Amino acid sequence: MHRKRGFSMEKKKARWGWVFVTPSLILFAAFSFYPIINAFYESFFNRNLLSLRPPRFVGWDNYIYLFGSKDFWLSVQNTLIFTLGTFLPLLVFSLVLAVFIMSIKRFRRFFQMAFYSPAVLSSVVAALIWLLIFDPRGLANQGLNALMGTAGVNYNWLSTTGMLRLSTIVVYFWKYIGYFTVIFVSGIGSIPDTLREAALIDGANRWTLFWYVTLPLLKPTTMLVSIMAMIQCLKTFSTQYMFTNAGAPTRPINVITLNIYNTAIKDYRIGRATAMSILLFIVMFAFTWLQLKVSRTEEVSHM
Amino acid sequence: MKKTSALLLIALSLLLAASVVGAQTIELTYWTHTDDNRTVIENRYIEEFQAMYPNVTIKRVVNEASKMGDLMLTAFSANNAPDIFNLPIEQEYGYMMHHRVAPVNYKAIGYKDAQDLASQYMPGTFDTVTMDGQIYGLPLELTNWSIYINKNIFRDAGLDPETDYPKTWEEMIEVADKLTLRNGEIITRRGFDFRYPYYLVAMLPMVEQLGGQLLSEDGKTAIVNDEAWIQVFEWFRTWGPHGRNLGSPTYTAARKIFNMDNNDIAMCLTGFYQQGRIRVDNPEFYDSGEWMVVPFPVFENAVNDVGCSYYGHFMMVNAQASAEKQEWAWKFIAYMLDHGWEYLETVNIIQPRQDLLDDPRYMELPYMNVFMDDMARSHMVFLHENGFQFERFIKEAIESVMLSNMPSDEALDILRERIQEVLDDSY
Repeated sequence: MHRKRGFSMEKKKARWGWVFVTPSLILFAAFSFYPIINAFYESFFNRNLLSLRPPRFVGWDNYIYLFGSKDFWLSVQNTLIFTLGTFLPLLVFSLVLAVFIMSIKRFRRFFQMAFYSPAVLSSVVAALIWLLIFDPRGLANQGLNALMGTAGVNYNWLSTTGMLRLSTIVVYFWKYIGYFTVIFVSGIGSIPDTLREAALIDGANRWTLFWYVTLPLLKPTTMLVSIMAMIQCLKTFSTQYMFTNAGAPTRPINVITLNIYNTAIKDYRIGRATAMSILLFIVMFAFTWLQLKVSRTEEVSHM
Repeated sequence: MKKTSALLLIALSLLLAASVVGAQTIELTYWTHTDDNRTVIENRYIEEFQAMYPNVTIKRVVNEASKMGDLMLTAFSANNAPDIFNLPIEQEYGYMMHHRVAPVNYKAIGYKDAQDLASQYMPGTFDTVTMDGQIYGLPLELTNWSIYINKNIFRDAGLDPETDYPKTWEEMIEVADKLTLRNGEIITRRGFDFRYPYYLVAMLPMVEQLGGQLLSEDGKTAIVNDEAWIQVFEWFRTWGPHGRNLGSPTYTAARKIFNMDNNDIAMCLTGFYQQGRIRVDNPEFYDSGEWMVVPFPVFENAVNDVGCSYYGHFMMVNAQASAEKQEWAWKFIAYMLDHGWEYLETVNIIQPRQDLLDDPRYMELPYMNVFMDDMARSHMVFLHENGFQFERFIKEAIESVMLSNMPSDEALDILRERIQEVLDDSY
């Protein structure tokens, strides 16, 4: 009798659980899952975005084309350069800033707010702000000239290959550093003080404490930040789009997402563009799976 | 029972009335690019048209010119495009080729047929919007670009604007160098800057001056006359930061700052409409007479005297709109465009209507002779179903040479390969 009552209580809870979860499942299916399936389907067709002619089935031709396309591999290269150039500094410096914030007693909230504030701007607004800064007469040249003691040197932030790539990395870094810092701050905050105190009693200095206590216990947070940062970097678009629209050369910063946009909207080749999107999705999925796999092999407990 | 029947009857009557009213009201959406002067007069035309035809309402939506191409494509691909729109012909051409726009309803606008309509305009006006004997757009403007000069800046640099203006592209480099002011490497005043990224309109004619072409005569081969292309690429390299450092696509567009007369740009490449904008933005500068217009330069070793290409903005109607909407759309377009002289005086855009061109006041407009002479030695902008795409490829080639210092022959090979791939691709 008790077991029966318990079981029906569980059933009732489960039913209510479904009631609350179903709307978001429907929304996810409609706005995320369905577009992915539809994109995968579209990638097997040749379709002109402007044409009213029915799309022509081409099988794997779009994928075969991409794997043989210099343009595609250039955008893969550009994406990798951007991702590695942004992801690693983001990961390292957000951790450093989080440790700094947690080590100070005063103005903690102020620093968190100051570092986080660029994250609330849209990517387009961030790019527009930095376009003004990177203008030849803008703050970037003035600042660097003042720092280096030079006068009137144009560092070509938006022109030469190396500087242009660096500029896009700077924008992304500036926008997201605070976001990941806050995540690390909450991760550090979740480590029990007792562990730190015990280590200090045992004679650990600050560096030993960080390296052998804090960092290992931050593994779950580090994994979360690295997955999120990696995905953000792989799908970067607005900065590169705004910069190229403002006259910066496309070739050095033609990342995959910009290539997808140009292929679909400028070249009208929606089938090829969706094939690229699917490949990007597979890469992001693979990275995420890999990172989760690595994180599971070294699970952390505060016990 | 009686109550229920009465209620049902009332509901049915209301439904019928609503459907009748709905059927009679025509709502048209009209998308166009920003132009403050044109907005004023077209809003008035909308009010007047709606007063004449109370069953028609027109919603005018403006967007940045540079964004219009993307917005229109997105709208059409979602089958949610406006009823009326205008774009430069090199962007509109694809819409016509793919039957996304409707042919002109000649009778609705008071003409017998296509020939009757065409006879009212300058010969050749409708060549680019005619397909299978039908005309698919009415011209809002036909525009070419010449060089505007700020005379004060010329004098400041010790030059006489009346005689020392550049007649060749080689002279353009030398004159611009004399006019340019720099703080070290950073340009604070440009002598001239190019009309990036409209390469089909302004850069391709430079190649044609040297005997080059984008496509062969049969349209099957990309890039004709490599030497012509490389000479033009090298000209841009010389212009950019790796050469004489005279300008770059990363600086503010020259035509956007010319009107302000702030000693930051001496020359810009733009159309007749610029005068209307100078008049509004800086009446003092406009009235001072300290600006002038000179012809589009030619290379010293040019084999063809080709001016900057001209292009048109054509008013077009969405083919997916209902037949009734299409008819009203053409009526409204014709009503607006019937005010050709007001468009010319207020907005400084030229409709190639014969009555306008024959008006003696026409040639008295400031520097109209320069624009007309330049137009006489030029041709309509390069048109192709994939023209938009080709322009993007040319943009990347120029930027690679100018900004990334790529060798010109390498940039040309990449350009050729990309265009040829599009030509060879049949789908």
